[in-house]
Amino acid sequence: MGAPLSELMRDLVEDELFEGVKQQLNDGVPPEKIFAELQKGMEFVGDKFQAQEYYLSELIMAADVFKNAASLLQEKFQSDEKDKIATMVLGTVAGDIHDIGKNIVSLIFSSNGFQVIDLGVDVPVQRFVDAVKEHKPQLVGLSCLLTTSFDSMKETVTALEEAGLRNGLKVLVGGGPLDETTRQYVKADVLCKDAPGGVEIAKKLLGVN
Amino acid sequence: MTAANELYEERLKRIKTAAALEKPDRVPVVPLANAFCARHMGVKMSEFCTNPKISNETIIKSFSRLGEFDGLQSAAFYATGLSTLWLSKVKLPGYDLPENELWQVDERELMTIEDYDAIIDKGYNEFLSDYYRERLDNLEAKLQPLSYMPQAQKNIEDLGIVLFCGGMATIPYESFCGGRSMPAFLKDLFRIPDKVQEAMDVAMVDILENTRQMLRAAKPIAIWTGGWRSASEFLSPRLWNRFVFPYFKQLVQAVVDEGVIAILHFDSDWTRDLEYLRELPKGKCVLALDGATDIFKAKEILGDHMCIMGDVPSSPLSLGTPDEVHDYCRRLINEIGPAGFILSSGCDIPPNAKPENVKAMIDSVK
Repeated sequence: MGAPLSELMRDLVEDELFEGVKQQLNDGVPPEKIFAELQKGMEFVGDKFQAQEYYLSELIMAADVFKNAASLLQEKFQSDEKDKIATMVLGTVAGDIHDIGKNIVSLIFSSNGFQVIDLGVDVPVQRFVDAVKEHKPQLVGLSCLLTTSFDSMKETVTALEEAGLRNGLKVLVGGGPLDETTRQYVKADVLCKDAPGGVEIAKKLLGVN
Repeated sequence: MTAANELYEERLKRIKTAAALEKPDRVPVVPLANAFCARHMGVKMSEFCTNPKISNETIIKSFSRLGEFDGLQSAAFYATGLSTLWLSKVKLPGYDLPENELWQVDERELMTIEDYDAIIDKGYNEFLSDYYRERLDNLEAKLQPLSYMPQAQKNIEDLGIVLFCGGMATIPYESFCGGRSMPAFLKDLFRIPDKVQEAMDVAMVDILENTRQMLRAAKPIAIWTGGWRSASEFLSPRLWNRFVFPYFKQLVQAVVDEGVIAILHFDSDWTRDLEYLRELPKGKCVLALDGATDIFKAKEILGDHMCIMGDVPSSPLSLGTPDEVHDYCRRLINEIGPAGFILSSGCDIPPNAKPENVKAMIDSVK
């Protein structure tokens, strides 16, 4: 038997990882257990990112490897919604079409046990409000890259407030030009500098270990 | 000599002195602004970014109200020109976006994995010519308005203002990354690294020659040699040392060999790799930072090696007060200057910057 799947995932050795996943499936290992190993590998990836051994380059690669490895399990296994840590409604705010950061957040949160409702880019304020009403998430994640989008970020948070949805809902914001001043300006709860850091913050906010 | 001429010479001397790491009579201030000027003057973004003559007039009008400065990094703007650096289409206000929105690079996978082979087989210039025609909707023809640029430059120089950035060039990493889209390109670096490197090496031959020809024709004081997606914060040292820095070294050397200053317009955070920049020619480069790289660390590591320019960030310019901007600028002038420092905005002044904050930045050098 080779290295544990979690380590192959961590080290981004994709061919060996895929072989390992197939092998374990053939050997009758429950898909849930294999999926948990992959998630553990993604946690290692997050740790390495925090330790500045990994960068966005490795994060993007890891998210892709994880997605491909998990897809090998898909026919036999549907991750159960009740096992999710929490739900997050996510999107790039109105007027901004940047999706790279938002997509990474989506992948990293998903691979760390969150259910992500990804609304895409250039998301109108009302769509965020509607999505929060429909999915009743614990978290809302707002992304932008343009400084001109600060105002649509603010409008989105205000609209959630006015719709009476803000109580108990945590609003996370992130994106290149954001700083603490912007976070206060848009009235969000926390600023996330990167996706793995965001996962840590979200877990803390929710009291999850 | 006319008054404008005298002023021009005085300002040019100030900028060149700073670039050569010496101490000028005062720290020069050389902002970079495009979209800001359109909003400031109430010009529609759709007209500003598609017509270099209008953008030139708007930039001149806007800055004439903001105090006395030494130079500008942009005399006119033409958003479609960004496609030549990014190998992506640009969404334009008034066409693809509401007329007063900011233009946005529409990064998609227009460049395929097979294109690396096309570059290796055909050479970069020939590849680009096909790519412009087939993937970027006949880009070559759309670049015609750029022929106004020499006139735009003359218009600002006639007013005694130095154009401190007379051209643009970048490394293959940036163009490939834009053409492939960042997620796909980063995966290429893991899955087909040798192929990407071979294509970069082939592309570099034409990029260097094109840059030399451009410099010989336009004879600028300095050119923009920019990096944004190749910033240290985005990729591991192993990848940066292989796919980014060796190419910057070649590009900067070629620019300096032509007697032109290389403006290392480095957006995002490059702090981790500042030490490497000491390998670039001393006193011939200007490191232009946008607020993400630690400029004080840059001074510590590179202060005796290259002039530093920057870095009043977007956030204080758009959300801060004139006093806050003034205090930050004075800190830069005292700690990064007074020798070897040019005061500027961090990258482009954002469109929603308050004019009084921009003026506070310009006035702070007095």
